[in-house]
Amino acid sequence: MSAIDLPRRVFLLSEDRELARTLDGLWPVEGQIAGPVVSVFARGRSALEEIFEQPPDLLLVDGRLADLPFTEVVALVKGENVYRQLPVVACLTPAAAAALDPAAVEIDDFLLLPIEPAVARARLELTMSRAARSLDANPLSRLPGNTSIISRIQNLIDLRQDFALAYVDLDHFKSFNDAYGFARGDEVLLMTARILANTVRDLGAALSFVGHVGGDDFVCIVPVELAEKACLRIIDSFDRIVPSFYDPADAVRGGLRSTDRQGQLREFPLMAVSIAVVFNLGGSLTHFGQVSAIAAGLKKKAKEKVKSSYVLDRRREGNGQPA
Amino acid sequence: MSEDLKTEIKDRALEIRNLPTLPLALTEVSTLLDDPEVSTDEVARVIGRDQVLSAKVLKMVNSPVYGFPGRIGSVQHSLVLLGLNVIRGVIISTSVFDIMVESMAGLWEHSLGCATACQRLARRAGFKDPEEYSVAGLLHDLGKVVTACQMPDVKARIDEVVAADDLTYFEAERKLLGFGHDRINAWIAEHWKLPLRLKEGMAMHHKPQLAQYYPDVAAVVHIGDFLTRVYEFGSGGDDQAVPLKPEALKLLKLTMCDLEVVLDELEGDLSEIAGLRFA
Ligand SMILES: [Fe+2]
Ligand SMILES: [Fe+2]
Repeated sequence: MSAIDLPRRVFLLSEDRELARTLDGLWPVEGQIAGPVVSVFARGRSALEEIFEQPPDLLLVDGRLADLPFTEVVALVKGENVYRQLPVVACLTPAAAAALDPAAVEIDDFLLLPIEPAVARARLELTMSRAARSLDANPLSRLPGNTSIISRIQNLIDLRQDFALAYVDLDHFKSFNDAYGFARGDEVLLMTARILANTVRDLGAALSFVGHVGGDDFVCIVPVELAEKACLRIIDSFDRIVPSFYDPADAVRGGLRSTDRQGQLREFPLMAVSIAVVFNLGGSLTHFGQVSAIAAGLKKKAKEKVKSSYVLDRRREGNGQPA
Repeated sequence: MSEDLKTEIKDRALEIRNLPTLPLALTEVSTLLDDPEVSTDEVARVIGRDQVLSAKVLKMVNSPVYGFPGRIGSVQHSLVLLGLNVIRGVIISTSVFDIMVESMAGLWEHSLGCATACQRLARRAGFKDPEEYSVAGLLHDLGKVVTACQMPDVKARIDEVVAADDLTYFEAERKLLGFGHDRINAWIAEHWKLPLRLKEGMAMHHKPQLAQYYPDVAAVVHIGDFLTRVYEFGSGGDDQAVPLKPEALKLLKLTMCDLEVVLDELEGDLSEIAGLRFA
């Protein structure tokens, strides 16, 4: 399923009418679930403009294109950073497939001609979902990114399913980055991602999810009754492990010295986690926008504390110590 | 001693893929992991008593795949970051010694005894995080395990020299090879990207006065090794007494009185550990 609920689009560049018919028939309309819409272009050149203006979810190129070598189409698409996420599948004769140089032609997969409909459909679906995952995943942590996060939350809201959504971010991350550089900052983000993923998974709940919004912002979805336990565990692990990411002298001192934006020498404590938890109870939320608005307010509260802390919406509050 | 021999031994040592351990530790961890409710802390406690399992876990968490090589020196932290899934994989892929179990059991006891001694010493010296020192103590003779597994021929020759010339294992290694297990420790720690603190404890425990970066860890492990031998707890591969370097005590600002306190505490700890059976 694509993240946004528009029908997916597949472009086929081929003069072969038989191939076009087969592909168009791959996704018959089944009840409510709409398959991808297949558009066929007999001439490669004429398709390029449309590809560049409105990239499809999948591009199929016939290896026997007459007006433009298929390798050129592939090079055009894959050579541009904005389009290279678009999965490209070539339709090749066995001879062409055998002669293919994977180092020179950047395709994501190929189908052998004549194509076998059932296999072709499965492979194309696989290619599209792989592309959707890798496009959305955070490039550093490889956790699901914004598109997945939003659709996951909206889905749960639509299902009127109870859940707790924790917004996690780090205090004093910027000063750490400024003092030690981005590479060291990335180490801390990867450590944080591991703690979140393992903590949430160890809760053993079916309803659980960790996403990476970007930078030092993460989200976790957990069952309502496990939210506080998750917060306490995340804070405990983070506070124990984070000193290892500082230079020994700073770890011993319990913080670092660096100059702020005004050029003034300042002392920063060790990094801490702030967690703001929003609940969906009995369908109390109706759309994703509410979630982020509530979380923004809660975050301010959590941030007022110097140490790692969590704030639960409309429930008990904690400061990281089990009550 | 020839550079060629050194290079050959180094290559053989670093080729190590799958260090085996003793059956008991492995069974104990596997049983824990079968329980879906088990906590990371419980698993960490059991793994933290086994030098090979601890080494494997630290190697894994410090590998570049995770993105923070050289940062993690604690077994408990490693478990939080790796997660129980990965730990299950580590355990499944670990084999047990099929031979020599008896001779290795002594080394396991010696290592665990040393870890315990290091923890007591670090507390006595007023250091903040005693676990950092006990891990270094646990791994201080890992080079001996590597030799036994990877180069049983070399190990047999060292054992012969120990018996024939009445030397310590360390002296025999140097007589035969020109370097000791401390050097093998350094290679392994470097290759596995273990934190520098851990590396210094492992590589400098016989010469703490020469430790460049973390003489505190080297000194703690040096004295810990000595105390474990005083109690003749387990075996480091020989039955000699090892010399205690007074510089190590000075470094930690510990007196002989402190040492006696630690010895008393250690006696209780060791009899408790002896209750856990080895081999
Ligand atoms: Fe030693
Ligand atoms: Fe030893």
